[in-house]
Amino acid sequence: MKLLTLQEQLGLVSYRNQAKSDIKPHIRVDTEICNSTCPHKCTTYVCPANCYTMDEKGKVHFQVEDCIECGTCMYACDQGAVTWEFPDPEIGRGVTWNYG
Amino acid sequence: MDEKFDCIIVGAGVAGLAAAMTLARNNMKFLLIEKGEFPGSKNVSGGVLWGNDLAKLVPNYWEEDAGWDRFINQRRLTFMDNQSSFSIDFKSSHFNEPPYTGVVVLRSKFDRWLADKVQQAIDESDYAMDSFIAPNILVEEVLEEDGKVKGIRTGDEKFYSDSVILAEGVNNLLTRQVGLQDKYVPADHMLTGIKEIIRFDQDVLENRFQLNGKSGMSNEFVGFATDGVEGGGFLYTNKDTLSLGLVLGLKDLREKGKKPYDILNTFKKHPVIADTIRGGEVVEYSAHVVSSGDKRVMPEKLYKPGLVVCGEAANLLMNAGKAIQGMDYAMRSGILAGEAITEAKKNQDFGESSMKAYENNLRNSYVMQDINNFQDAVHLLHDPVMTQKMPNLICDFGRNFFSIKNEPTKKAREMLKDSVKKHASYWDLIKVGAKGAKAL
Repeated sequence: MKLLTLQEQLGLVSYRNQAKSDIKPHIRVDTEICNSTCPHKCTTYVCPANCYTMDEKGKVHFQVEDCIECGTCMYACDQGAVTWEFPDPEIGRGVTWNYG
Repeated sequence: MDEKFDCIIVGAGVAGLAAAMTLARNNMKFLLIEKGEFPGSKNVSGGVLWGNDLAKLVPNYWEEDAGWDRFINQRRLTFMDNQSSFSIDFKSSHFNEPPYTGVVVLRSKFDRWLADKVQQAIDESDYAMDSFIAPNILVEEVLEEDGKVKGIRTGDEKFYSDSVILAEGVNNLLTRQVGLQDKYVPADHMLTGIKEIIRFDQDVLENRFQLNGKSGMSNEFVGFATDGVEGGGFLYTNKDTLSLGLVLGLKDLREKGKKPYDILNTFKKHPVIADTIRGGEVVEYSAHVVSSGDKRVMPEKLYKPGLVVCGEAANLLMNAGKAIQGMDYAMRSGILAGEAITEAKKNQDFGESSMKAYENNLRNSYVMQDINNFQDAVHLLHDPVMTQKMPNLICDFGRNFFSIKNEPTKKAREMLKDSVKKHASYWDLIKVGAKGAKAL
């Protein structure tokens, strides 16, 4: 069986209100903390949807669009950089599972 | 809305729906709020609902070809190294009779079906027009006054009730907000579950796994599956799909610097798994945090005046080696929560002691008895000797034991000694043996 890339895997996920442009991110990340004092920057590898990325300078960036609301970053970040909420059903970009 | 409900339930997962069913049957006026677009749309699980509480909620559920996918009549526990697998496999027609000992479910389908059953119970109750299942609403706050719960807030709107059942799942933001759990829960006893749904032609699936009608198999994996990270793997047969996934210790993942989907791909490349999933097509990739079943992560108290916490919001989940249990705990705790609220209404007392009755009943139920009794097993299973050295040792022994070389063959005892020397030490075994004896 052909192995899928993460991008292909995320392409299988259904999101609600995907096309809405006024998304208010349900997760806020203080990347100042990631990029100054954090010793591990673990969100860039533990997030199952790769919402946290590291650029060539080693700086952490966060984008909420692929988030599947699993909660991993909320527990993994022990530096206080991640503030977690659930997306608002009306304006958010929440995940809707077809199987679950 | 001026009207006051007897109870507001937050979350239409297994726990919330079980609570709602109990309230509806007891003629209570309630509101069940779900943030997803339908019950189950936000929920992920490995896939097996153990035990037979489902038959209490939906008598003769097995007569319907809906909701659940397959019943379990084959259990397999597999130890893996990088090339091999060594399984303990048990299959019995003893498990073919309903109410089954376990059924495989896909939550987007199962929760929606169970919600329909709850709606039927509402329709038959005295509050057919006054109790509701309300999806698409995010509860932002539990309203309290003078230390007593009085309802919930969503956006600008408030809903009032005598009691609140929090069944919001493992990411229990409201449980934290009302002060029953710390605002930040560290990763120490939490795991990340990731899963693929892999579709097959139904005949192919049934032939490959020797399934007959609605029978199904559950398979847990220890060792190479997690590529050195604490945790394990699972594979369950659904109607025409497989659920294949891993649960990975979050703290260990952080310390080892590994990516969950890389580990999943490594698992899928293992020759045994590659043979198992050949020809399938991935149709969904999902992930969700689960708790380990370590009591240290549970909220210290599961109630306060007018409020109880159930299901995984209370971290009711456990893997003691025999099975990954969680949905059955959710179902039982939801039933107990519904009963406690019914009793509170009868006595017109939603205070601290009334709510404490829920926690007492939960403590006396199999849920907390099992969680308490198997804490040692939970700790043992997260010991690297158990998750790494033992599977390697077992597979090495298997390779020697099952190889025929037309040379003088060593006795099994000698082979075992060789494998122990190669992969662990007697000291490791003595430690694990002592812990194991205590855990069993």
